[in-house]
Amino acid sequence: MQSHRKSSSSLSRREALSAYTYIGPWIVGFILITLGPMVASLYFSFTDYNIVSPATWVGLGNYRHLFSDPLFWKSLGVTLKFGALSLPLQIIFGFTLAILLNQNIPGVNIFRTIFYIPATISGVAIALVWGLILNPERGLLNPVLSLFGINGPAWLQNPDTALYGLVIISLWGVGGGVIIYLAGLQGVPTELYEAAKVDGANIWQQFMNVTLPMVTPVLFYNLVLGLINTFQYFTEVFILTRGGPARATLVYNLYLYQNAFSYNHMGYASALAWVLFVITLVLTVLVFRSSATWVYYEGQLKGR
Amino acid sequence: MKSQKPFHLLSVLLALSMILAACGTGTKSTSGSTDTPSGKAKVVLFVGMSTGTTPEQTAAEEELAAKFNAAHPNIEMSFVFVPYEEAKQRFLTMLASGDPPQLACPVGNEGISANFDTWADITPFIEADNYDLSDFPSSLVDLQRYSGKLFGLPLGVFPSMIFYNKDIFDAAGIAYPTTDFNDKTWTMDKLREIAMQLTLDKNGKNATDPAFNPGQDGENVVQWGYDDSYDGSDLNGTLTMWDAENKGRPTTADYKTAVVNSPEWTYGFTWLSNGVWKDQFMAPLAVTQARDSAGTLPFTDGKTAMFYGHTWWSAEALPDLNIPYGVAPLPYNNKGTRIERIDADTCAMPAAAKNQEQAWEVVKWLLEPDQLIDYVKIMGYVPARISLQERYKTEVIAVDYPALDTGVLFGAMNYPDVPNHESWVPEYSQIRSILASTYESLYAGTNKDDPKALLDSTNAEVQAVLDQYWATHK
Repeated sequence: MQSHRKSSSSLSRREALSAYTYIGPWIVGFILITLGPMVASLYFSFTDYNIVSPATWVGLGNYRHLFSDPLFWKSLGVTLKFGALSLPLQIIFGFTLAILLNQNIPGVNIFRTIFYIPATISGVAIALVWGLILNPERGLLNPVLSLFGINGPAWLQNPDTALYGLVIISLWGVGGGVIIYLAGLQGVPTELYEAAKVDGANIWQQFMNVTLPMVTPVLFYNLVLGLINTFQYFTEVFILTRGGPARATLVYNLYLYQNAFSYNHMGYASALAWVLFVITLVLTVLVFRSSATWVYYEGQLKGR
Repeated sequence: MKSQKPFHLLSVLLALSMILAACGTGTKSTSGSTDTPSGKAKVVLFVGMSTGTTPEQTAAEEELAAKFNAAHPNIEMSFVFVPYEEAKQRFLTMLASGDPPQLACPVGNEGISANFDTWADITPFIEADNYDLSDFPSSLVDLQRYSGKLFGLPLGVFPSMIFYNKDIFDAAGIAYPTTDFNDKTWTMDKLREIAMQLTLDKNGKNATDPAFNPGQDGENVVQWGYDDSYDGSDLNGTLTMWDAENKGRPTTADYKTAVVNSPEWTYGFTWLSNGVWKDQFMAPLAVTQARDSAGTLPFTDGKTAMFYGHTWWSAEALPDLNIPYGVAPLPYNNKGTRIERIDADTCAMPAAAKNQEQAWEVVKWLLEPDQLIDYVKIMGYVPARISLQERYKTEVIAVDYPALDTGVLFGAMNYPDVPNHESWVPEYSQIRSILASTYESLYAGTNKDDPKALLDSTNAEVQAVLDQYWATHK
């Protein structure tokens, strides 16, 4: 028996060694490429550092300045407004699209592919294409709107509409979320619908009482990812508006970038990055906490 | 069960190679090594902080380098070409890694100011060689002089002037703007008056007509009277013409006080705002950005009567322009003076660069008339050397821009904005960004009823940046 235990323990050690050997390259990469720069940026956030000269320790100076910096608050406000507009629309639009693509109609796989394609295109290409589409003089969107008697605005050139232009662009990439919603929808057991039908539920009642609860884990997953992506939003605004006009699209990440790479305020930019990390973490934790009240996991016992 | 040893070994090797790659110094880039294998001193020119990176330009620069290298057995001149958008970061990265190029060449005022703490003072080289500066206008030499230090000599300049569309003037029966720098009737008020007459909506009404209807964002206008938007976001470049005490600089001479809302700049800012939103002879942001984002250069679409621009615009636009055009001096401002913004390029030496004496040899060689004439042809400059102006007229203007009035071109160099609109101020890039945002707000119409309030808030914002800077820089 003792010999069996010894051999089992030795096997475990060998397996553990194998596992660590296999993930070794990843661990090294993580430490060097992710963790190392993170630790360095934490250090720089307490310094005055402009790349060329050595960093000088300023303690909490960058963090104190941050809270009195009107552009910090402005960029945070713009980001939150963008997220408040874009995130619900992305979820509603993506989920609705997934429901439509979950129907048994001819050519549905072609439609699924078509709607997924935009998610595979780089943000830079999307930004450039949408810049042309939204161009008030030569773009495609305003002539289409004019067919319905709508005088389309100068989307990205008007401070009142620029952020809405970016929200429209953000909907272009919902295809990635659609695939996940679709997987969730197809995982709903058909016997639940059959039971609901037997109980006399109409389509709407089936949706509200069967479909929606069963896909809440997927909705939760996309919500968390969307939240994080909102605070990382950068490419489109960098390519198309550079934060303008009149700072109407100065999102947080762009302000961080400007401080780091335009003004060479690496220390302050590092502080901005860490505050961003904390904000994202807090909001994500809040969403996780809230999930107990609205996310349903199959097989989960109430109260657990 | 197959042996896992090869996979283990592979993983360990992969991890080790990553660690070694991270810890190692890597291959030294050619720019930083001070000597070639043959023992020549290397002089690397960093190209990207102004012009000089198109395929045609790089090929011509390589030819120039070959000519230099053939004549200098102990020095090897070579280049690092970097796109303009990436140039600043690449340059700083090279500096931070202890591997700076020997010269940033060409580099404009903007590049000098944005990397202000990095340049060497070339005064000792000039003094040691007793280098003759008399062939360079002193105002152009002074563009790169700060507190007694000189960061570079001017290679070439981009003066500015009014370009006008002759067809539009002819159709309206309005006389062309003057080419006479002494004509005191050529004022900004006169320009405004003409520009309003030449701005037409789609019903053919001009901007002086009560029935003129430009639309909400200028969408009904088919022809604009005046355009000063190509500098994109250069508020101080646009306002320097109004002759404030500090010309194009947004601070006092001690750099401690913001003067963005000086009376002259306030006047000019209001003039511009009214030009876009009240008199409506200038296109708002919706029109200019739509044009720019479609890749169209201003004035080239034939829809603009007058355009104020630098010769770097003309170097891009004039060769393909199919519009009969003329040029005129910038008009006199409301104070009766004339200040024309000017851009100038130089070769600057990073203070941390090695082989500085050899780099100075390259600079001197480039500034020699025979090389400089070739160099300005490559870069599209007007030569900074006075003695080269005649050769430039016959070898460049007569060949490439026969319609360009050389009197206006060279005359513009007599009214430079010193302090220049791109001259250094503390936190240069941050303050330029603040000013750019204000400029954009003007064209977007956020404060069209009270432009002064916008300028006042900008002044407060710039002052806050200055205060913070001086709190840590005694």
